[in-house]
Amino acid sequence: MTRETLVNLVILAALIGTALVAQALGEGFVVTLATKAAIFALAGVGLNLALGFGGMVSLGHAAFFGIGGYVCAILASHAASGQPVAVLPFTIAGTNEMPAIWPVAMAVSGLAAGLIGALSLRTTGVYFIMVTLAFAQMIYYFAVSWPRYGGDDGLSFYVRNSFPGLNTFDPIQYFAICATLLVLALGVCALILRARFGLALEGARQNPARAQALGIRPYGLRLTAFVLSGMIVGLAGALYADLNRFVSPAMLSWHMSGEIMVFVILGGVGRLCGPVAGAAIYILLEHLLGGVSDYWQVLLGLLLLGIVLFAPGGLVGLIAPRRRHV
Amino acid sequence: MSEPILELRDLRKRFGALVATDGVSLTLRPGEIHALIGPNGAGKSTLIKQILGEIRPDAGTIRFEGQAIDGLDVPARARLGLARSFQVSSVVPGFSVLQNVVLAVAGASGRIYQFHRPALRDPALVEPAVFHIRHAGLAGREGVLASDLSHGERRKLEIAMALALRPRAFLLDEPMAGMGLEGARQLTAILSDLRAEAPILLVEHDMDAVFALADRISVLVYGRIIATGTVAEIRADPEVRRSYLGEDAP
Repeated sequence: MTRETLVNLVILAALIGTALVAQALGEGFVVTLATKAAIFALAGVGLNLALGFGGMVSLGHAAFFGIGGYVCAILASHAASGQPVAVLPFTIAGTNEMPAIWPVAMAVSGLAAGLIGALSLRTTGVYFIMVTLAFAQMIYYFAVSWPRYGGDDGLSFYVRNSFPGLNTFDPIQYFAICATLLVLALGVCALILRARFGLALEGARQNPARAQALGIRPYGLRLTAFVLSGMIVGLAGALYADLNRFVSPAMLSWHMSGEIMVFVILGGVGRLCGPVAGAAIYILLEHLLGGVSDYWQVLLGLLLLGIVLFAPGGLVGLIAPRRRHV
Repeated sequence: MSEPILELRDLRKRFGALVATDGVSLTLRPGEIHALIGPNGAGKSTLIKQILGEIRPDAGTIRFEGQAIDGLDVPARARLGLARSFQVSSVVPGFSVLQNVVLAVAGASGRIYQFHRPALRDPALVEPAVFHIRHAGLAGREGVLASDLSHGERRKLEIAMALALRPRAFLLDEPMAGMGLEGARQLTAILSDLRAEAPILLVEHDMDAVFALADRISVLVYGRIIATGTVAEIRADPEVRRSYLGEDAP
């Protein structure tokens, strides 16, 4: 086992252990915090696929987070009202079943990622950042000005969606769902990153000219990674909507994109479990310092500055530096 | 005479008022090393870029194994077996030697959209990669990061990656650049063997290497080929001596 694998296991064990201990002590609120950390971690894992492994600095991933969230809320609100989501061209009914909601959330955010990625990936560098930001802001303002689903006020649904065989209202059971999906997403990422696709994606990130000379087109690889990334972030958005039983355009705003990016950078860009550590620390700081001062993010900013300047590999990079021999 | 592997016919490229390629015709025949020499600014790089597909010529045509490849992009030409080395060594720095060559084998296979099987445990990738690494003289260095290799070893890694493309032709852009005396000698031997794999179009400033290796030499000056011939013919050519080699060249 490599040192990074060990660190990854410790990070996951710490997250899951926190929830279990909190449950045993009857601290339901802490379980919910751990659930939030797991969901943010999932979003970070999704972004890391594009940002860390594909080299695509997207400042628009809130779009996929929010789309996933809105898909969840819209389906749930229609299930509650009994009205179909659409009747033309064929009837789409609402649903409050998570196993039905997740694939839809992933499909819609994947589709959005395909469209946004196909256009954005024609640019690079700072232009890519700006174009992804612009697309996300377009969707944000669309949500703000669309009264059908709450507009500026957002959209509430009062009952958390259900999962067969589980009581999703029980914080620890909902945590179990979110943590399982996080581990699954990590497994999928680990698998594809070691496969030909991951090797080619990483090679094209480090040296695109060389990749082309080897017969590899970076564009298709990046677009595929961008879509997968958007799908994972969309799933996280759906889980987040269910956690709060509420969605609002805030989920789509560029602050959210920035936050997801902070998870990745704090934990370690291009490190599999980096975003998990990053999200957990973010939630921890928010909880510990948020009570002390409304300006806790100043401290977060200092921490981020320290990481970027002195430990560009993030926390995981600090603990498990890259080996010189592979 | 056998059919040329690579054939340029009347290639032209201008950048504004600058004519970078002025009606270049050139062939690369099976089994030969064809050196392309010329002073700085003669348009060698521009010509190479047109062959690789990085820039499009204004006129003229490029045929590769009898097929016009003018409409193909860089990756498509690479997959046909046009292998290149870069003027400045270009490998994936964060990859090990093995990963670099495995990437090349995967690229050449055209099947990079595989999502589940670990690439470094796939015998279809690793076995040819190890073979090419050995062939290029890097046996035992498989696990070393490319960024930790010496300059000469990086050159060898580039050759291993080029070999992995199962090349039909090599395009080597100043492979001797920055090599020490011993390194250049070793590389000359490797390149000489390489011609058995596929013919080489060699752009090079190191005249010792060119005269030692080349079967034919073309001299490019101001975008035109002023002479093509064997080493002896080029050395004796008065115009080449005046414009490039210098009057007092041996």
